[in-house]
Amino acid sequence: MLPDTVHKLPREERFAYARLLAFMARIDNELTVDEMAMFEQRLGTALLSPGQREQIRAALKNPPSLEKCLEDLSGEAGRLALRDAVMMAAADGTVDEDERDALEDISEHLGLKEDAVEQLLAWTVKGYKWMKEGYELLDVLEE
Amino acid sequence: MFPDGLLHRSPQERVRYAEILVYIAAADGELVREEIAVIEAMMGRAMIHPESRVTVRSGFEQPIPLEQSLADLDVSFAQLILRDAALVAAVDGDYDRRELTALRKIAKTANVSSKQLSVLLDWVTEGWHWFEKATDFLSE
Repeated sequence: MLPDTVHKLPREERFAYARLLAFMARIDNELTVDEMAMFEQRLGTALLSPGQREQIRAALKNPPSLEKCLEDLSGEAGRLALRDAVMMAAADGTVDEDERDALEDISEHLGLKEDAVEQLLAWTVKGYKWMKEGYELLDVLEE
Repeated sequence: MFPDGLLHRSPQERVRYAEILVYIAAADGELVREEIAVIEAMMGRAMIHPESRVTVRSGFEQPIPLEQSLADLDVSFAQLILRDAALVAAVDGDYDRRELTALRKIAKTANVSSKQLSVLLDWVTEGWHWFEKATDFLSE
């Protein structure tokens, strides 16, 4: 869809990336349709094997701890996971306290700047605005 | 993620949506990993059933002819497909002549003029710039 690099990561890192997103999807014990669609989209981008997808879907039902997810996550996979975790957290329109705390923990684990989550949230807001414009554009496309 | 009506479409319509995106991705030749990743992402976002995804993937080597997929498509659905087809066509960084030809065919079904198609492609470009910004500041 957009110039992403998740599919270029080594297989194990793509799995770790997806597992973190499964954790984020279940963090508030709710999974809205928007969050699920976003999660499935990112899972598709990761090009996981059928077996890995099964494991990730199982992780949705029984999410691993954040500590466990972070064990295998570093470098580029970690940064991409944080980026997409922010988008997932915002998918239902709000980022609650538990989500925000987890995002800050991930950022700290990756050694990112103090305001990294804040920057990503601002970036996500711009992205959703762009997506909304795309949808609104459909209303005025017809001749 | 996208505030659109895709999830309200029937399972059959969503498969047709994916089949058209496969056609677009394959329009410039053999599918590359980036294009497969984007198709998988779009199928995920459309929450297409895993078994139906297998059917869609079978079109990677031999896509369903575009005219066949566009037949009897309602205008609003064709517009939604056109938007996502433009995103798929851009994934390798450029619009191939064959991709543009296919986009124009979808645009015709969607009652969208060349000028309006150009506006849509500008919107895709804006999305690219937005997405790249995250990569930029995360790698600082």
